[in-house]
Amino acid sequence: MSGAPPRGRETDPASTTAEGMTATSSALLELTNVQIFYDKAIEAVRDVSLSVKKGSLVALLGANGAGKTTVLKAISGILFPEDGTVEGGTIEFDGKNIAAMEPDEIVRSGIVLVPEGRQLFDTLTVEENLIMGGYTTTQRNAAEALERIYDMFPALTGRRHSVSGYLSGGEQQMVALGRALMSKPKLLMLDEPTLGLAPQIIEEIFSTISALVREEGTTVLLVEQNAQLALSVADYGYIMENGRVVLDDTPERLLRNDDICEFYLGFSDAGARKNMRDVKHYKRRKRWLS
Amino acid sequence: MDYFLDLVISGLMVGALYGIIAMGFAMIYKATGVVNFAQGEVLMLVAYIAYTLTTLIDMPFWLLIPATIMIGMIVGLIVEFLFIRPMIGEPVFATVMVTIGLAVFIRSLVVLLWDAFPHEFVTSLSEQVIEISGIRLYPSQIVAFITYLVLMAAFWSFFRYSRIGIAMRAVANKETVALLMGIRIKHVYAVAWALSSIIAGIAGVLFASIYDLDPTISAMGLNAFPAAILGGLDSVLGSGFGGLIIGVVENLTGGYLSTGLKSVSGFVVIILVLMVRPYGLFGEPEIERV
Ligand SMILES: Nc1ncnc2c1ncn2[C@@H]1O[C@H](COP(=O)(O)OP(=O)(O)OP(=O)(O)O)[C@@H](O)[C@H]1O
Ligand SMILES: [Mg+2]
Repeated sequence: MSGAPPRGRETDPASTTAEGMTATSSALLELTNVQIFYDKAIEAVRDVSLSVKKGSLVALLGANGAGKTTVLKAISGILFPEDGTVEGGTIEFDGKNIAAMEPDEIVRSGIVLVPEGRQLFDTLTVEENLIMGGYTTTQRNAAEALERIYDMFPALTGRRHSVSGYLSGGEQQMVALGRALMSKPKLLMLDEPTLGLAPQIIEEIFSTISALVREEGTTVLLVEQNAQLALSVADYGYIMENGRVVLDDTPERLLRNDDICEFYLGFSDAGARKNMRDVKHYKRRKRWLS
Repeated sequence: MDYFLDLVISGLMVGALYGIIAMGFAMIYKATGVVNFAQGEVLMLVAYIAYTLTTLIDMPFWLLIPATIMIGMIVGLIVEFLFIRPMIGEPVFATVMVTIGLAVFIRSLVVLLWDAFPHEFVTSLSEQVIEISGIRLYPSQIVAFITYLVLMAAFWSFFRYSRIGIAMRAVANKETVALLMGIRIKHVYAVAWALSSIIAGIAGVLFASIYDLDPTISAMGLNAFPAAILGGLDSVLGSGFGGLIIGVVENLTGGYLSTGLKSVSGFVVIILVLMVRPYGLFGEPEIERV
């Protein structure tokens, strides 16, 4: 596995590996003009195009209700229990259209989602949760992966047989992350993995995510409310508003623009003034949206 | 005291059969959220097919059990495929209605293909009454009780150690998240129906070999229903245990009060228990599903 991947579209060496990718695109995941409805009536996602290069960490940002979770659910193929449908556009993974695939085929092809709010099987033990994460792999691979997860999160070792519903928020996030990694996904999608966690745990989670990308070559699509933190580790960022991607750029350039920071990311460069400006910022955004 | 003990022991023997059937109810409810009102009829169908088999081939008892397992599995898979699978995604209530229709259908089918007269279900088990310290039992009753114990132990380890067993608990806990693990819900449903029909069939064959085989055997389903409610409809082992309680309570009521109250007493017990624990003795307070 190589280190930090190059960003150039044509020069990504990963595209010529054994994965059999088409030579025209270096993207592992490519969404083109995706449009998503709930109940055939609510247009939650209007027009989203985004591309995630192999081995990169891409941040998907935006305010509450922008449609980030909906996009991740669409990629994982789990919109149907909520009567959601992809009405337009294409979702390609590894050069294949996955929009019509069953969720288990999508997992088997290498995409795993850590859902919003962790969503552990709270009546199952930690180990049973992890075993479920390895459901699509062979028993032997799952046993190996299990040891790898305990190495990665030593705190879980002593809690193997605890019912996961009783763990602390931080431990639960480790289980959620570990569970997702059991099948060794090519693309790991994380929906607000730091929600409600203490700063120290957040740091730990982020360094784990960075290590996965930089050392193991995993590709990550990260949805985060904490935009500054997400952009500090990301290779590229997309900003969604009202079901659309309104901006995409490198983190450096997104962070350099004060207006972007303020309107879309919810913080100003002068971090100290952030709290005082919260109210004003909220009002301005509302005006912007109406 | 001897009379009391006699009632308790024979109550346990009947209770074992209730328990086995109740486990079948719980199995389907746990995995799919549906109360299968055709449980007694599936039991009847498997028992009749097994009966026909014994009239065609001279079968030793040790072969009758695996034969019943095969028949039960095939019946369960066919029923699931024809009647239940098309209902996936429909409201649970509609599926429950389908099982009620299925019950009527199977009952008519059995009378049509066989007849409505009692048949002696001959097994190679001896009919000699055994006396163990003053308590008189038929060998088939003892076999029934041992089968009950074996099934309880088998299901305990199935849900604890087998991947598909853990997956069943995961589906019962959070169905959408189970999809994210790559678990095929349809598989889990089919396995639940197959297992449930297998144990219903075993109960049917045991019951028919203790008494006789005629269409009223389908009432065993409804008779065992209080056991499932008592133990907690979503707890397979709890339901199995509930069977013993109901069996003993019914027998004591019949022995000390009046035979007429016998079948009512089970329902009285569940009403009393449900007032204190609305989800049964061993059930989970709530199950989340989509
Ligand atoms: N099951 C559903 N049925 C109908 N509308 C829905 C459903 N789920 C989400 N929506 C709507 O779709 C829009 C996008 O929601 P989504 O959850 O994708 O936003 P989000 O960007 O993830 O927000 P947050 O940051 O709060 O998690 C919202 O307007 C929401 O109300
Ligand atoms: Mg969200």
